[in-house]
Amino acid sequence: MNWIGIIVPFIAVSVIGGCVGRPLLHPAPIRKPLQTIRPYNIAHRGSNGELPEETLAAYRRAVQEGADFIESDILASKDGVLICFHDLTLDNTTDVAIHKQFAHRKRSYQVQGVNITGWFVVDFTFEELKLLRVKQRFGFRDQQYNGKFSLITFEEFISVALHAKRVVGIYPEIKNPVFINQHVKWSDGKKFEDKFMETLKKYGYEGSYKSKEWLKQPVFIQSFAPTSLTYIANLTDLPKVLLIADPPTRTEDTNQSFFEITSDSYFNFINKYVVGIGPSKAAILPSIDNHLSETSNTGLVAKAHAHGLQVHPYTFRNENLFLTFNFKQDPYEEYDFWINKIEVDGLFTDFAGSLHNFQEWTSEKGN
Amino acid sequence: MAMNFRGFVPFLCLSLVVACAARPFYLLPSKIATQNRQPLQTSRPYNIAHRGSNGEIPEATAAAYMRAIAEGADFIETDILSSKDGILICFHDVTLDETTDVADHKEFADRKRTYDVQGVETTGFFPVDFTLEELKKLRVNQRYKFRDQQYNGMFSIITFEEFISIALDAPRVVGIYPEIKNPVLINQHVKWPNGKRFEDKFVETLEKYGYKGSYMSKDWLEKPLFIQSFAPTSLVYISNLTDSPKIFLIDDVTIPTQDTNQSYWEITSDKYLDFIKEYVVGIGPWKDTVVPVKDNHLQPPTDLVARAHARDLQVHPYTYRDENSFLHFDFHQDPYQEYDYWLNEIGVDGLFTDFTGSLHNFQEWTSPISQNDGKNKSKASRLLDKIGLLISAYKNG
Repeated sequence: MNWIGIIVPFIAVSVIGGCVGRPLLHPAPIRKPLQTIRPYNIAHRGSNGELPEETLAAYRRAVQEGADFIESDILASKDGVLICFHDLTLDNTTDVAIHKQFAHRKRSYQVQGVNITGWFVVDFTFEELKLLRVKQRFGFRDQQYNGKFSLITFEEFISVALHAKRVVGIYPEIKNPVFINQHVKWSDGKKFEDKFMETLKKYGYEGSYKSKEWLKQPVFIQSFAPTSLTYIANLTDLPKVLLIADPPTRTEDTNQSFFEITSDSYFNFINKYVVGIGPSKAAILPSIDNHLSETSNTGLVAKAHAHGLQVHPYTFRNENLFLTFNFKQDPYEEYDFWINKIEVDGLFTDFAGSLHNFQEWTSEKGN
Repeated sequence: MAMNFRGFVPFLCLSLVVACAARPFYLLPSKIATQNRQPLQTSRPYNIAHRGSNGEIPEATAAAYMRAIAEGADFIETDILSSKDGILICFHDVTLDETTDVADHKEFADRKRTYDVQGVETTGFFPVDFTLEELKKLRVNQRYKFRDQQYNGMFSIITFEEFISIALDAPRVVGIYPEIKNPVLINQHVKWPNGKRFEDKFVETLEKYGYKGSYMSKDWLEKPLFIQSFAPTSLVYISNLTDSPKIFLIDDVTIPTQDTNQSYWEITSDKYLDFIKEYVVGIGPWKDTVVPVKDNHLQPPTDLVARAHARDLQVHPYTYRDENSFLHFDFHQDPYQEYDYWLNEIGVDGLFTDFTGSLHNFQEWTSPISQNDGKNKSKASRLLDKIGLLISAYKNG
């Protein structure tokens, strides 16, 4: 027997096997599942504390940093393409102002009763939007990536999650649906909400909360507009979350007050359609002179929990101007308080990395 | 036992005083037997509460120091200056303007002066022009407008002795880290009897409270102490008076030493470190000189830490603050990322922080002290720990 004929292939296979780092003959590894034992780390617009919001880079950074969900606001372009963008106008977070060819596109529209002037996304085709570059919203954050990244579509956002090495959920918002449906028309009478659901279905998102299908591709659908959520309840049993802004804001579609939509009777109604609420932090605990007082706790979390609703407040940010003095300018003290004292079920954060650190470092101790 | 009204009023007053003082009303120094107190941790870098927890409470006040102890500080730090009548006080600035209400006191309106301080003409109300009794009339304010202002006007300046007693009173062993501050200016303006200098009075005060012993000696562990100064001659001078460990502070690259007029480059040279290591156990540099910064991003680190460590000199940089205006973008506005970098990548031996609670959280969560970690961990054993963690992460990954 020619031993070289045996040894050499054996060595070659071992080297390859060793270099690949795992046994050659086993199937591709199953992705690490979504964690469901502690409150969800929801990367609000991606890691926008470091990178311009809602860009591929911001979402990939958030995935790297350990986010459970990446979050986005979905709007529509003039030609009905669903895009990831928060504001209705392009002014604050893009370089639209330096594009001379768009100088004449400035408009004034009524948005939820307020006159707003600017370059509206609904007046630009998707091809035109792709010519723009995104910039960091806050002047006190890192400006070095300004002008480098473009807007992305809902589909590009979804692919970031599906391509991640571990299971990462998505948390898209049906944003400003009243305004979008006023300004953008789709063929065959479809509405914004229909196109939103079509996109999710196209990528295989289905199943009720914590079902087998959902755990493979987790998603929460959020909106400030309750009728959008009740409408899509007929199209999907994917979990939905009703967002709640501070008083005196009223719902854009049903013109209901904060007090009405946080009442027991309303929760009795809405909990047939949603699995949770997403209130602002101030709606749960208002601050006075930049101090939080437990005595001013509105009781919203207790009420929601009593109706079987999760609570995912927004938004957590590291910068001290966003922290009340109780937290001693320490964002981890804020996480500790909201997770361990207020006991929320998820947190929208601009700093997924910091929240991830906090949860990882304090988990073993049974905190 | 019935108490008549005349007896009751003093009792009521005393109770009010006790309640207002907000801590147990017992004699100082502490009556708690030293051996029963939890000892100083020496297995991980020191958490040095820079001017107390001044992120929350006005700096260098009793309240700021007590908060720091409650939050887990290893050492409470202070700057020692002197009043006109030679009483050593805890105060950072050479003038009272920024952090006290001196401007509201009409009786002191005529005390404003202009002096040369390290070559800079400085105008203001100088502590060296006020007796202790007068200083005690003032109230301390939070230095930074973006920090909590609610305690402004509530607390007074404290003496070196009051500072020491706060440490000795603590329910666990807490070290002190006082600075011989602006000794050139102090010795110019304040004279003590018998030809004593500021440095003599400083050491006298420490000895009065039983601070002695070289670094890590039994005496030192009972009453831990680092003496710090920007003025090398002050440190060399007191070496003849005490073997308590000393730290040589190093200012920004543009500032020469106040006593010997030496540049940053000279005092961080190999030759100088070889000289000063005979007198000090470590250096306290400004962190942006250890790792330079450009456009709010970190540049490659200098070799200062390596050269200090090669000479068995500890490195305790200043100052760590939670507010994002003080955090370089590499840290993502997260003060814990900054602690992580300095403790685990740069490998310093102590940190001066305005937010001792945050540093304590970080250290407790990422390097808790187990029962077995009583001894000072060597670098080798720390390296073995890291290897162990890498292997287990790979196995579980």
